[in-house]
Amino acid sequence: MKFTFVPEASPLEGYTIKRAIHRGGFGEVYYALSDSGKEVALKLLHNNLEVELRGVSQCLNLKHQNLVTIFDIREDRDGDHWIVMEYIGGRGLYDELQRYPNGMPIDEVLRWLSGMTAGLSFLHDRGIVHRDLKPANVFCDQDTVKVGDVGLSKYISESRRSAQTQSVGTVYYMAPEVCHGRYGREVDVYALGIILVEMLTGQVPFDGETTAEILMKHMTTDPELSALPAPIQTVIAAALEKDPKNRIQDVEELEQRFRDAVTVMAPVDLELDSGSSSPPPVSQTKPSIAAGKSVTSTARPPTATVIGDYWTKLPALVKWIVGGIVTVILLEAQVLSYITSGAFLGIFVYTGYLAVRYLLKPKPSEPVNSKDLPKDTNVESVTAQRSDPDTNSSQPPPLRRQHRGTQQFDCLSPATPRAISTRQRISDLVNSLSISLAATCLVTLAVYMTTNLLHEPVHAVFFGSVTMLGAWALLILSKLREGRPAEVFMRRVMQGAFGLGVGFLAAGLQNYLMLSDDPLLHFPDSDGKPWVVGRIHLADGSGYPTLSAFMMFFGILFAARRWWWQADSFRKSRFRISSTLVTLLAGAVVAGLLQFPGALGATWALAISAVVQLSAAWTPQAERLLQYESSSLPLTGGRSRKHASVTSA
Amino acid sequence: MPQFINDSQRGIRPHTGIGPRWATKRIVPAAAANSGECVVSNDSIQCYMLWIDGIGAWQLYLGHSFSIGAPTFEGKSADITLQANISRRHATLQYAADHWQVTADHQTSVSGRSVDSATSLRSGDQLSLADRVKLGFHVPSILSSTAVIDFESTHRPVHSVDGIILMVDHCLLGPGRDQHIYCPDWPDIVVLYALEGSLRCRSSLPLKVDGRPPSDSAPLKDGSIVDGENLRFRIEEIH
Repeated sequence: MKFTFVPEASPLEGYTIKRAIHRGGFGEVYYALSDSGKEVALKLLHNNLEVELRGVSQCLNLKHQNLVTIFDIREDRDGDHWIVMEYIGGRGLYDELQRYPNGMPIDEVLRWLSGMTAGLSFLHDRGIVHRDLKPANVFCDQDTVKVGDVGLSKYISESRRSAQTQSVGTVYYMAPEVCHGRYGREVDVYALGIILVEMLTGQVPFDGETTAEILMKHMTTDPELSALPAPIQTVIAAALEKDPKNRIQDVEELEQRFRDAVTVMAPVDLELDSGSSSPPPVSQTKPSIAAGKSVTSTARPPTATVIGDYWTKLPALVKWIVGGIVTVILLEAQVLSYITSGAFLGIFVYTGYLAVRYLLKPKPSEPVNSKDLPKDTNVESVTAQRSDPDTNSSQPPPLRRQHRGTQQFDCLSPATPRAISTRQRISDLVNSLSISLAATCLVTLAVYMTTNLLHEPVHAVFFGSVTMLGAWALLILSKLREGRPAEVFMRRVMQGAFGLGVGFLAAGLQNYLMLSDDPLLHFPDSDGKPWVVGRIHLADGSGYPTLSAFMMFFGILFAARRWWWQADSFRKSRFRISSTLVTLLAGAVVAGLLQFPGALGATWALAISAVVQLSAAWTPQAERLLQYESSSLPLTGGRSRKHASVTSA
Repeated sequence: MPQFINDSQRGIRPHTGIGPRWATKRIVPAAAANSGECVVSNDSIQCYMLWIDGIGAWQLYLGHSFSIGAPTFEGKSADITLQANISRRHATLQYAADHWQVTADHQTSVSGRSVDSATSLRSGDQLSLADRVKLGFHVPSILSSTAVIDFESTHRPVHSVDGIILMVDHCLLGPGRDQHIYCPDWPDIVVLYALEGSLRCRSSLPLKVDGRPPSDSAPLKDGSIVDGENLRFRIEEIH
């Protein structure tokens, strides 16, 4: 890291720079000595604007033991401004967090919290909001916690230039309403809540690849607090409320509620500490509240997660090859009937499991057992540490991105409610329908060439036409409902209705193409008996599907899958092979259920899924926030340009 | 990329007046004193400040015996002075016959055990002076006998430093936890060593000492700046 000033430089009269301390979002900080030997920190403000200097000068005469004292603001010969302030030796909170990747001991958490609360409370009492509270701004000098950078935070919100140089670290602690340009002391409560989570677990609750993604999570995603004991979860959740009106209103209340929550657990903590016979690890004298859970989950990840991770890491080409092999095996090996039977068995067992779980589940209104919950977490914690006392020091320090992959898409998924203009919908739809023509031809050709399903060109015409009809129905419906608040049941019902229509048209087309008794549509396992439910003739005993069978097949297939997750522009990726394969299996199961030709049904499901995904509009992750922001203007009464400047950083 | 501004533009100037007392003179051979070299003599202790950009400040002592005490305004202070309610010469740390030992002149304990005669020190011991001053004693590298003292209580020398290096042979600065000064972002190790009574540096990194590549024949001077792609530190002699 290079710094502008060399040691022994003296840009300000009376001070000699001895070394550079660090470079932050606001500028470079140096350790300097006055001519008489007084230690100071000199902060060089790059790109300083008057409004920012005003912010600092308002805080120039604030005195509190938990705030870093600002001595002066000076201008050097080049016209750059410097803040002369108290030098803090010792470790900052940021460094301390690096030492405890799985969370700090609770005593330490309370010590830092107490100092931060006192400093912030003093500021709030004088009508000042810090607005940039983060571990890098919190220090500890001679056992006194000190909050720094008071008065500098206007950089974040009001300066486009500084937004571009701002470190991502700031965004981790930024309350949702900061994006709207509305500030109150609640933003400090929110930041303190985030810091608490980080101190307790070693991880910030909202993490992501980009600034935009993290901001988005602050605005839309609920924090994942399950690693914390229940009483603490409640307090943190109240501090991280999205709406500042519903949030804990001041930092003192947050501290008090947090202490109360910890007090509830204290007897168990003490008991476990005294029972521990092994010496505590050097880097961590007491078990942290959340360490046990995170260590345990790291040590024994669920098998499904391992497989999922493995699949995710596979190169795209390998996924396609595997997908192709699985498809051909399923279609050609005559195993569809086994799959159907197996699926029925699985569904039956799973339903039974759900029923048992529902019956055994404790009622949510039951009061929290204050002894059991912390005991559980701490037992895990102590066990984990006994088995590996060096767990904390041997793990790589940055664990912030541990949950990526599972959380990354939560806030920008098809479930995200957003406003989409009619014009946009029509434009997307026209494009999708046009592309679907080509996609259908491609998919049909692939099926025709690679399987023995379609023997004659007329089969391909029939197959392709029905595929396109199905894809159109799903594309239209998904696009109409896209961005609207999730009503999963209603969407499924509507999809089912569209499916009935597609089935009706498919049956009509079958008659028109004179394929009524074609081998393509023959169901080999037919027992020769008609299958009538009420007035519906699901099978007439001839082994060929009836009109009702067509309608029921497409109706159930369309209702069974969340097709909008394949058609939405915020879907995870443009084309997901796993979705297509699951749809294929769904098709096989539905076909088996209805005495519908299995191979044809499964292939139709696969083909429709493929065409829908290939032709539906898709927005890459990086562009979603901007699209979301611009589209949400009418909903929020006008978001400020300030936010645009932050997101463009 | 930050803009680099040359020294003359930014007005580097020597210290004047009552400034920090890093630069009063100590007994050094005349030739070396004239050239400004950092000279290590066998019968005296040399002390330097290492000002390391982005890392911190360390006091580096060369020698084999170091007294610890409170600063005094008259007469000779101890080699290592701490602003604490301890005696002017409270204890002495010595390196002899391949091991470190502490000799207590006043109330001293090692990892909780009170000591009154010369007692061996092991890496990881806690040195306690007059009950309140707690110092950590570490020999982090198996490659070197050099020890590192860190501050476990709030007592420090007059100016803020992150630790004290008692250099016997080498001082390693680099990205490993077993180096004497842990510099996490540095690409490789920089070794400080004493040769022919002078302090020098060596590294596989392309370094420059005062603008020139380091060499065994070029000792570090008082005020030398060692500069690399991602690192910079300055050596200053303390008297």
